[in-house]
Amino acid sequence: MSGKDELLEKIALVFHDVFNDSIEVSLNTNASDIDEWDSLTHIRLMISIEAFFSVKFTVSEMSEMQNVSDLILILEEKLNVRP
Amino acid sequence: MLFNSYLFILIFLPMVLIGFGIIGRLGHHKVAISWLVASSLLFYGWWNPLYVWLLLMSVLFNYAIGVALLDSNKKVFLVLGIAVNIALLGYFKYANFFIDNVNYILKSNFSFDDVILPLAISFFTFQQITYLIDAYNGKTKEYSFLHYLLFVTFFPQLIAGPIVHHKEMMPQFCNDFIYKINARNISIGITIFFIGLFKKVVIADNLATYATPVFNASELGLEITFLEAWAGAIAYSFQLYFDFSGYSEMALGIARMFGIILPVNFFSPFKATNIADFWRRWHITLSNFIKDYLFYPVNIVMTRYAILNKYNKIGEFLITVLVPMMIAWFLAGLWHGSNWTFVIFGLMHGCYLIVYRIYLDIRYLIFSKGGKSGIFSTALLRMFMFFIVTMSFVMFRSESVNGAISMYKSMVGGRGISVSSWFESKMAVLGDIPNILGVRYDGFFYNGILTSNPENLILFLAFLFFIVWFSPNVIELFRLNNPALGVDVLLKNAKNRILWNINIYFLIATVILSVVSIMFVQQESEFIYFNF
Repeated sequence: MSGKDELLEKIALVFHDVFNDSIEVSLNTNASDIDEWDSLTHIRLMISIEAFFSVKFTVSEMSEMQNVSDLILILEEKLNVRP
Repeated sequence: MLFNSYLFILIFLPMVLIGFGIIGRLGHHKVAISWLVASSLLFYGWWNPLYVWLLLMSVLFNYAIGVALLDSNKKVFLVLGIAVNIALLGYFKYANFFIDNVNYILKSNFSFDDVILPLAISFFTFQQITYLIDAYNGKTKEYSFLHYLLFVTFFPQLIAGPIVHHKEMMPQFCNDFIYKINARNISIGITIFFIGLFKKVVIADNLATYATPVFNASELGLEITFLEAWAGAIAYSFQLYFDFSGYSEMALGIARMFGIILPVNFFSPFKATNIADFWRRWHITLSNFIKDYLFYPVNIVMTRYAILNKYNKIGEFLITVLVPMMIAWFLAGLWHGSNWTFVIFGLMHGCYLIVYRIYLDIRYLIFSKGGKSGIFSTALLRMFMFFIVTMSFVMFRSESVNGAISMYKSMVGGRGISVSSWFESKMAVLGDIPNILGVRYDGFFYNGILTSNPENLILFLAFLFFIVWFSPNVIELFRLNNPALGVDVLLKNAKNRILWNINIYFLIATVILSVVSIMFVQQESEFIYFNF
């Protein structure tokens, strides 16, 4: 399994925790796909991801990440798993 | 100087524009900027020359701090900068209020020289605080002092916003294009300006003649009737709406004549179907400030804390949403002025937003996918929004909390419901019900404080409901002409067919608007937002 898939799987866990279990998480998922993903839950999502991966985002990074693939790019950078 | 004065419209603005055009054509960009700065200072100083120095000191100080922040990014400069700005605002705006409250609580008698509130201080202070924070976060870069001076003092936005960001304006001042005044920008600017002037002098000033007597009577403790209170409150909601949207459009239009595009500040707020949406449309630059610089910083810190310490849902909601929201809206209310009515106004909106948030959270729990809202629910929601916003504006308008309470009492029927005697025989079929509800047959407007011609007012208000709920706004009308910054999301679903263009119809409309509004210009009719 590549690093990206593994990350996506872990991210999905956090998504299911923050939103409800029925949502599907793929690389293309973005804020407009999920009703609950509004500006306030966005913060909650970001910080849950911070806690899960033990990383820390800056405010501007938080506002830049509006979909799952942005999220993975920044996480890869933080975790240094980019091949 | 007021936008809605002959001095401004017929002398100041044309002179500044012609001067800027000539200097720009000759290619002296620095001189052209200086010309705008000098004009802006004259515009500001017209009201009280002494406070020009205050404005200049504030600009000088913040520029110095900004440069230090861009160089070294040291937090101590940021803290110092914000502290001095807040202290200045605190002294000029809140010192008397603070002392009055201390005296009230301690039954003491401290006194303090009455400080005259410097015009625009809340706006230029906030604008420069955003500059310092943006500089600290590396979101803007350094520009010349002259450009910075114009960024703060530029007269279309100096007095009552929009609160502009450094990074939005500075690149525009460096753009060679603006120094060549062009006909298209002038026609767009003039049209938007006169739409705004019309809203102010024809609509808002007229509504004031209905709203003001009602609020004054309420302040004096007069027994206002049910319908008088409602008519006065609704008239004021529209007055504030047209006063502020009129001002915002005049600012947008004037800046556009100089080729400068300001951020959107007002976007049909009464079309909002929820309170969060309302604040994305009303005083947009202030609510962005509240969100970005008051609410989210606290919310982010608190959310980290709550998640690390595994708070349950309710505990998390309390510390991450409720507390930061109330703090932010307490301050937002206070920003409008040193009066408890403004604080309560802010807290009311804080509560509205919290209730809406709770509603959303519950809805997400029950329905995973929200349905599309139909015409019927949109209409109901707009009416409901108008109701709760009008309730908050009653507090906002009243001079004292007691005055507002007296208005509310009349509005909920606490003083009976006066209707005209015509109803007396018709209501008989209802038996005792009208009596129990407190219906009286002494006339809808028996105090006579509101108007001798209630039918006119009712028609006028009905017409305004039509405008604010159904007609396209100025931004939509000009959507193909880049009318304002930050409109992409707002215009995503715009479908209006009527679009501005240079043609005979819009020319005729603009001429009519301008002639009528110039005839209506009165002396000394300040914009409501000039007090903040």
